[in-house]
Amino acid sequence: MDQIVEKPDTLIGAAFPKPDAPDKVVGKTTYINDMVLPRMLVAKIKRTDRVHAKILSVDISEAEKVPGIVAIATAENSPKGLIGVLKDNPPLKGDKVRCIRDEIAGVAGETEEAVNRALELIKVEYEDLPTVFDPEEALKEGAPLIHEDKPGNIGLTFDFEHGDVKKAEAESDVVLEEKYELHYVTHTCMGPGCVIADFDTHGKLTIYTQTQYPYNYKMDLAPALDIPAGDIRVIQPPTGGAFGSKLDVYPFEPIAVYLAKIARRPVKLFFSREEEFIASPTRQPARVYIKQGAKKDGTITFRDVQVYLNNGGYTSWGATIPAVMMRTMTGHFRIPNVEFHSVAPYTNNPFAGSFRGYGNVQATYVTATLMDKMAEELGMDPIEFRLKNAQEPGERTPQNSLLKNAALADCIKISAEKTDFLKKHAEYTEARKTPGRIRQGIGIATSVHNAGGAKIHKSDGCGTILTMDDYGRATVITGASEIGQGIDAVITQLVSEELGIPPSDVLIANDDSAIGPWDVGVHASRTTFIAGNSARNAAVKAKQQILAAAARQSNVSADKLELRGGHVVQKDNGVSVTKLDRLIRAMHFAGEDAELVMVSEYYEPPSELEDKNHVGDISAAYAHGAYITELEVDTLTGGVKLHKITAVQDVGKVINKLGIEGQMEGGIAQGIGYGLSEELIIEEGIVKNPNFRDYKVVTAPEMPEIECHFIEDDEETGPFGAKGISELPCIIPGASIANAVYNAIGVRFDNPPITPEKIVRALHGGKAEAAE
Amino acid sequence: MNTVENYIAPGSIEEAAAALAAGPVTIVAGGTDLMLQTGSGAIAYAKTLMNVRRIAEMQGVSIDGDTIRIGALTTITELKSDAIIAEHLPVVAEMADKFASDQIRNASTIGGNICNASPAGDGIVPLMMYGADVVLASAKGNRNVALSEFFTGPGKTVKADNELLVAIEIAKPAAGFKGGFGKFGPRPALEIAMASVALGGVVKDGVISNVSVAFGAVGPTPMMGAKTTALLEGKTLNEETISAAGEAASEEVTPIDDVRASAWYRRHLIRVMTEEILNDVG
Ligand SMILES: Cc1cc2nc3c(=O)[nH]c(=O)nc-3n(C[C@H](O)[C@H](O)[C@H](O)COP(=O)(O)OP(=O)(O)OC[C@H]3O[C@@H](n4cnc5c(N)ncnc54)[C@H](O)[C@@H]3O)c2cc1C
Repeated sequence: MDQIVEKPDTLIGAAFPKPDAPDKVVGKTTYINDMVLPRMLVAKIKRTDRVHAKILSVDISEAEKVPGIVAIATAENSPKGLIGVLKDNPPLKGDKVRCIRDEIAGVAGETEEAVNRALELIKVEYEDLPTVFDPEEALKEGAPLIHEDKPGNIGLTFDFEHGDVKKAEAESDVVLEEKYELHYVTHTCMGPGCVIADFDTHGKLTIYTQTQYPYNYKMDLAPALDIPAGDIRVIQPPTGGAFGSKLDVYPFEPIAVYLAKIARRPVKLFFSREEEFIASPTRQPARVYIKQGAKKDGTITFRDVQVYLNNGGYTSWGATIPAVMMRTMTGHFRIPNVEFHSVAPYTNNPFAGSFRGYGNVQATYVTATLMDKMAEELGMDPIEFRLKNAQEPGERTPQNSLLKNAALADCIKISAEKTDFLKKHAEYTEARKTPGRIRQGIGIATSVHNAGGAKIHKSDGCGTILTMDDYGRATVITGASEIGQGIDAVITQLVSEELGIPPSDVLIANDDSAIGPWDVGVHASRTTFIAGNSARNAAVKAKQQILAAAARQSNVSADKLELRGGHVVQKDNGVSVTKLDRLIRAMHFAGEDAELVMVSEYYEPPSELEDKNHVGDISAAYAHGAYITELEVDTLTGGVKLHKITAVQDVGKVINKLGIEGQMEGGIAQGIGYGLSEELIIEEGIVKNPNFRDYKVVTAPEMPEIECHFIEDDEETGPFGAKGISELPCIIPGASIANAVYNAIGVRFDNPPITPEKIVRALHGGKAEAAE
Repeated sequence: MNTVENYIAPGSIEEAAAALAAGPVTIVAGGTDLMLQTGSGAIAYAKTLMNVRRIAEMQGVSIDGDTIRIGALTTITELKSDAIIAEHLPVVAEMADKFASDQIRNASTIGGNICNASPAGDGIVPLMMYGADVVLASAKGNRNVALSEFFTGPGKTVKADNELLVAIEIAKPAAGFKGGFGKFGPRPALEIAMASVALGGVVKDGVISNVSVAFGAVGPTPMMGAKTTALLEGKTLNEETISAAGEAASEEVTPIDDVRASAWYRRHLIRVMTEEILNDVG
């Protein structure tokens, strides 16, 4: 009797639970912070208490005597290699300290108590140096020099010019000139910084880390250690969040390695929550001067942007955010003439790293509020003005981003329709004229982001090795890291779909650099797109191998066969020609013709590096989003209550409905925090609120209703049409909140977060006013 | 690094008082302040850690004649739902609803809130407004201290090291006494007050009497609003009085600038909340 195998429902677009979720929910997951290796020591860092000082002496003699102390690393007994994007950061400081994070010594011991005691006993003598904290001050002549080899305190600069801004300005009917001050926020990962270093007897290093870029991590770590990158094996245990904060090597990692080397034992170095606030990278703060012009009819004529990035003491990814910021400043909406200049002067502040959204959170706060200001100046509504300047599919931006299927206008129109935007916007504007304590507001913001990887390294690729065992199960070894974002689920779905096996028969292996093929890292919303394509292509190769074997066995040609429900079936009628596991065993145990199903794939997206003028189509696809926030403002207390965020986003194709909604909601929570409540307060280089009491992340009661509309336009280069989606939800909300607050109370805030106190000060000036 | 050498959990006030008389002891109730302060190094444990949670006499709310007694171990969750509190001291229940989150309310005791002596302690403000006394026990016996005279500075009180706070006593408020509690922080839950107000009185024929006002987070200790009280007492509760009271309140508080809020904003909030409560009770 022929067995007919029905076509199962597709998994693409299904609500597929993350495979790692149940263990996390029941507390079974062993995060890196929970790990214990045999004979492992615990370690902590002695940090400075100065922001700019010469180190005169470091005395560890008393600390060494503490019972249980096994190793102390200082600049004197440690390798001298440097880390950071500009290799300007010695993991242990020997000559001077440049910011409050600076590491003087690492101490490893048998117990945390012993280590804490030893830290107290390390004596450091300093000679304070003059300080500078403001990026523009740092550029002035005579400003204190932070690095002797960086004259003028100049770190990274970015410059881009297109068209003729001067001429365009002269020809504009309206010109707006604004200054924005964008603040420090931090990632607040649930799992604070942690690393475990362990040498074998051959001198090879195994490092257990939270890194989100395991392969280039070796390359960045090795110079600080005086060992070849090839001698480093990177293991990635489950991590409690990263969001960009683990995209560089930071001093605590080499310090743990120095200690492991001295102690000849495994060393685990970890941060307290306070340290996590003080010593992990922040989002890059930015001071932005921007000019934008338009014709009376609403056509934008030019943008002219000057950005000062407070670089802090050392250069990590923070100072490179113009690479992303610029794409939005120069290319979000049709900007015929544009100049962008940025400089990142060194100061005595803590330094920034990468953070979900990169410079686009800052760029979108600026451009989306500026678009609203300009619409009002022109007497146009915010929708009409945006639609007037939205690019059409197929247009290229000045930096040569090809907006193949630009959905910007659709995003704007749909979001406006879904929320009845124009009616409410006009109504709330009108309501400002009559007295009332509670004001309603609605605001829109839009942005664009790379959605098909981002070629910032020579390769933006990802490797996959896929093997099938004798029982018909697939093991997918992918270069892509799972840092909580849900790539394991996505790859499971894609492979399961191609191979016609249930998702429970797919195992993902991706926590060991000794096994996994290269990947550039989890960043730039790239993993579903890049690693997804790579995994899918590998699955297609495996499928071809399997179908070829099935064709030989069954005398039905391969193109008439497909994989379905654990069988090889005839495409047209679903009749099983063989069970998949049986076929694979037959292939395996075929004597001289024996073969394993074992394929590899390296996927490189069709994108290009920027040239030296920052021109280049860096991503295989771009995605737009339009978010509308509805809120109310209590004009007496300044309290803002969010009602609803309507998010319309071009996602290409939904792969995992649960995953995408999780990314949207989580990103929006971070975006709200950026706009309304989160700020790492840094005064004279010192972090003033290194705790969750005073650093206000958004909690559950403040979360508004979130309504998502996904535009699925099937990106031709994406896996099953998918684009990268996960940064826009964090990028756009802040600006849409700012526009909604303006709609409610008629006040602009160019210095987020928009706290209740700022609102009250703006509305009531120096004088307290009466309640009604 | 200091560590606890002895842990004790006495079952009676007498035993606890004896332990306190014998020498340095750190008292723990819910631990929601203590654990954070010892963890950050702000305070050090004494050699003996005494858990007072097993002392039955310090638990629960009772009423005896005209006196309401709140055991020091009563949790914020209990205050939120207790029938005696709801009937006689509703402003305390209102405070409990604005306190932290469920988890923290379940662990936090009112005694711990008072002894922690934070200027922003929410539990203190309505109790002060109701004219509460605290009952302090030691090996030598009990003494009562008015809550309004209990605090001497941030984290500092008149309680001696050998004394245990066992209860709070409050005379039943006058018939018709009505009040409210206002607390502002940017988040609706899990928030330390930037400023708080408890205010109450008896409003009859539009005239307010028996006025009492207390403020939190606007000075080195929670404080009574003597000037606001004097201004309101016996006045007709109209727009003019309410506005004058808001102004008096914002002037008599003594806030500082810190990372959470400026002194100016705190005064503003005191004014807004004072007027809000008066509008509600009027
Ligand atoms: C996340 C979080 C949110 C919070 N939110 C709020 C809030 O909204 N409002 C607010 O006011 N507070 C808040 N707190 C602070 C804290 O929860 C309260 O102050 C709580 O009431 C303290 O009670 P406890 O029983 O936990 O005290 P403990 O921590 O056990 O003790 C506090 C102090 O009082 C002493 N002590 C305790 N009981 C006695 C006693 N019977 N006699 C003598 N000394 C004693 C202890 O030795 C210690 O010094 C919050 C804390 C956290 C961690």
